[in-house]
Amino acid sequence: MTPEEITNAITQALVQGGQQWLVATIGAFMPGLWALTLIFHLARPYVLRTLRKLSLRFGADVWWLSYVLIRDAVALITFGLSVLFLMPNIALTMDVPLTAPLATLFLFWALYVKLMRDADDDVRAYRVATAFLVIGATFYFVPQTLGLEANSQDYLAGVATFLDSAKNQALAGPILVVALVGFAATAALIFYRVVLSASRRVGSGTAAPQKAGLS
Amino acid sequence: MTTDQLATAIIKGFLDGGESFLEGTLAAALPIFWLMALALHLARPYMLNTTHKFSLRLAADIWWVLYVGLRDAIVVIAFVMSFMYLFPDVLMSQALPIGGSLAAAILFGVLLTKLVADADDDPRAFRVVSYLLALGATLYILPTLAGVQVSALALGDPWDGLGKALVTSTNPTLAMGLWWISIIAVGVMGFVAVWFNLRAPGASLRRVA
Repeated sequence: MTPEEITNAITQALVQGGQQWLVATIGAFMPGLWALTLIFHLARPYVLRTLRKLSLRFGADVWWLSYVLIRDAVALITFGLSVLFLMPNIALTMDVPLTAPLATLFLFWALYVKLMRDADDDVRAYRVATAFLVIGATFYFVPQTLGLEANSQDYLAGVATFLDSAKNQALAGPILVVALVGFAATAALIFYRVVLSASRRVGSGTAAPQKAGLS
Repeated sequence: MTTDQLATAIIKGFLDGGESFLEGTLAAALPIFWLMALALHLARPYMLNTTHKFSLRLAADIWWVLYVGLRDAIVVIAFVMSFMYLFPDVLMSQALPIGGSLAAAILFGVLLTKLVADADDDPRAFRVVSYLLALGATLYILPTLAGVQVSALALGDPWDGLGKALVTSTNPTLAMGLWWISIIAVGVMGFVAVWFNLRAPGASLRRVA
């Protein structure tokens, strides 16, 4: 092998390896991020209980603000990184959980509910957001645990192959298409509703005090 | 060897090495997190004493919020770090403490107890959390010391035998048995947490308002 060939091999390895490493690292962090998203969302009764014990509104506000900020930031980061699973070249050729694109879609729906409804005060909206998050997490955890991370177990070989997107492309393809269509439709709906609602507010004059405050 | 083969070998070494390094680092850092979780939980009397000494309610509130936030954040971080113990391939490929998966389930049990009961005001819930943390720390730290660390020293029998029995990669049967118990326990506890949330938040919201 000539020095030039070795250089080419190392360059190729660095570029391809770097890309695979990035995707693999994100994939490795996703279970943790999903767990954090669920934990923070489900911790709500505990956080409210602690909030009631604080003697000052200042302390309560700091506590609540920190909770809401961290909870929503973790959910957003998880969603941002999950978008990776909607990339066809990654979802169909790399070993990712079979239903990871659907998990992303359910997380998007949970965020949609939080955006469009007051999931902090409206119990029904909270329950819907919880259901979406739990379904999304299940779609991620189950194939990750029993599929990608169970290759060493012979008795789970069939399940592991079925739940690995690269090894089950016949199912991974349709799942990806459904997720992409759902993603696009939800994004369009969010855009439409936000623009419509903002237009109505401006039209009815409810935005006036905010304008005055800003000026 | 062709260029492609060399590139593939480098990529494989890069990815496998990176994964092993990450998992090994997490496993090595977890005893510290277990001790910190236990220490902060047991520091409660000291924190309460200090809280009573503040002359301003604002300072007392900040002190308490910081304590509670840090204490619970450590447990949450430790659980997220322990997540790798719920993956069979990791257990089989790395030399990890055999009680790691059970310890992860116990951490989830701690979080669940804090969710469904008031471990700050209810002495029974506080005791349950204390016992769970002590049990989890023991299940994690003991096999780390007597298993992972001792087996790496090659001290001869009976230490080698004991060390191998307490490491996941050299005792796969027990490791997988404990893994099944842990994964089922986490699943059941997760179901309880969701059920509690779907049932309870309405009442909580109204009381706060």
